Amino acid sequence: MMKKIKVYVPDKHLKIGLGIWKDMFQEIIASRELTWRLFLRDFSARYKQTVLGVLWVLILPLVAVAVFVCLNKGGILNIGTLDVPYPVFALFGITIWSIFAAGLSATSNCLIQAGSMIVKINFPKVSLLIAALGQVIVEFLVRLGLLVLVFIIFKTVPHWQAIFLPLVLLPLLLITLGLGFVLSLASGVMRDIPNAVVLATSLLMFICPVFYPIPKSGLFADLSQWNPLSHLMNASRDIVFKGYISNPEEFLWSTILAILVFLAGWKVFHIAQPKIAERI
Amino acid sequence: MSNNVVIKVENVSKKFSHSLKQMMYCGVKDIAKGTLGLPSNSDKLRKGEFWAVDDVSFELKRGETLGIIGPNGSGKTTILKMLNGILMPDRGSIEIKGKVGALIEIGAGFHPMLTGRENIYINGAVLGMSKKEIDKKFDSIIEFADIGDFLDSPVKHYSSGMYVRLGFAVAVHCEPDILLIDEILAVGDMSFRMRCLERISDLRKKGITMVFVSHDLYSVDAICSRAIFLNYGKIKEQGEASKIIQAYQNYVSEEVRKGIPKDIMLSSDSSSKGIEITNVQFFDEQGKEKDGFYGTERMVVRVSYSAYRRVQNPIFSIGFSRSDGLLCCAERTKYHGIEIEHIEGEGSFEAEFERVQLSPGVYTFGVAIFDSTATFAYVERKQDIFQVKSPVLPTTADVTSVFTPLVKWKIK
Repeated sequence: MMKKIKVYVPDKHLKIGLGIWKDMFQEIIASRELTWRLFLRDFSARYKQTVLGVLWVLILPLVAVAVFVCLNKGGILNIGTLDVPYPVFALFGITIWSIFAAGLSATSNCLIQAGSMIVKINFPKVSLLIAALGQVIVEFLVRLGLLVLVFIIFKTVPHWQAIFLPLVLLPLLLITLGLGFVLSLASGVMRDIPNAVVLATSLLMFICPVFYPIPKSGLFADLSQWNPLSHLMNASRDIVFKGYISNPEEFLWSTILAILVFLAGWKVFHIAQPKIAERI
Repeated sequence: MSNNVVIKVENVSKKFSHSLKQMMYCGVKDIAKGTLGLPSNSDKLRKGEFWAVDDVSFELKRGETLGIIGPNGSGKTTILKMLNGILMPDRGSIEIKGKVGALIEIGAGFHPMLTGRENIYINGAVLGMSKKEIDKKFDSIIEFADIGDFLDSPVKHYSSGMYVRLGFAVAVHCEPDILLIDEILAVGDMSFRMRCLERISDLRKKGITMVFVSHDLYSVDAICSRAIFLNYGKIKEQGEASKIIQAYQNYVSEEVRKGIPKDIMLSSDSSSKGIEITNVQFFDEQGKEKDGFYGTERMVVRVSYSAYRRVQNPIFSIGFSRSDGLLCCAERTKYHGIEIEHIEGEGSFEAEFERVQLSPGVYTFGVAIFDSTATFAYVERKQDIFQVKSPVLPTTADVTSVFTPLVKWKIK
């Protein structure tokens, strides 16, 4: 019986050229069971030994929304008129934003957290990131349940096109994973990164349409024009609240950018993978 | 790669960095270079780097077991990690044929909050087993792990022995073609160690190739057919396991001797207690002083002391310890009904061993002078080393045993 021969040499990726994409796909396919196990592990371990358990997923956005509702009611934050009641608008915003923010934080941390495993076992590290993103998706689904409840309370009816929401969210997931690939590697080398990510995402939130729509003119409007996250978020809100995407052109280039970021990040991650163990 | 060779390591080197800052800088640079498709020039040393493994080559055929021995930091684990693909070589190439299973650290990847059952599936998946495979072997795994009612408790409540048993059980059930084992038998109790060794020899009989890293030369000798003696990342010697172990033991005894400063060797800190052991010498039959003996040789140990005050009814005690700390023999004058009235001033005593009767290895000679009740030691000294050499002629002596008594067989 001929067994597959594995060869370990320095700079292997330079020798295989474009074959690397095939390797990358095969790795993801071959490791799907591992990814699923790691996902289950994180999921079942996460809320053990907590009293409130999975409720924590709901508490965080609710508190944030409550703060902004108070600011709005108190007249400190004036956001003008909206298509939907403000709490619905804000909760939807934070729910979508969490995919990006929590996703980035989870992926950038996951290699460090699995450090002891990485230096002792050889397994596809890409599974760790996908499993980490899986947690974020589960959180999103739980929050979606809360969102439905809030829709009912405020008697807001989404358009039927809302069923395309997963499709519209896909670019957001890809850009998150793409950045996550690079940031997780960088965190492995420099432990500053996870802290910086938390800071950056919380600042980024203010130039994205999370708790308020971006004004039509001014500094924020100009910034927002070049912010793919802003377009991706607007598109998801549009599809649910309006039933169509109001800026399809911006959504399209943001999507293409997201795909490119994802592919680039993935490739960097794959190439750097053998170096991870010695740096972690 | 010829048909029977399953591991081929050619001129492999691996460098590490002394400083963390330097490592960070190089890490960023290497990853950036890799991304841009530039060669990483990994074959050259940069500032602050050193070769942890230096120009190592060896081949392993199917079913062979290789032991890697050497002092701490000689690069043993690094080689194992490269064989497993956790680390990439910076120079040279490694070719591996077949599925590799590694016991580099048992239970790595266990989640402390999850139960043993859950962790079996996770660990199995990490080691490359599918759920179906694990389902099939589940009973056999828990039987081997022998954790009883703890199967459904979180592993953080496990004793360290149970933890290791579970990890080992999963790892040996993934049916690798090549098994890499790193110093794992040091943990776990006696019966578990025995079971591990049994399992390992089963696997060996099935034709599984093994690389075994250990400080426990006795298990290396029991398990391995060939061995590599590694020092400062370089192969010092390789060949038949027993010969390499011997070479390593020679090296260790040499190093230990070099490491003991002369002044400590000659004096002792307990002169305040009244007695000092000034010298320990080993002599052979002809009265020639030496420190290497064959198991069949006569050996005389002479201990010289200075008693600064008069000590009534002292008891002299001597003993040998094997390099792993096992006390092989301990003798006291009192056992033999010898009463010493008193000692004062310079003096010495001798103990004659008709035959050394110890298996080849490095032994530490310990000597103590006790008070008349044998509860309080005036002086102790455990630093003199002698070596028991392997006989040149073929012998029935097994290195894993302690004694080589003179046995007379009678076959009827």
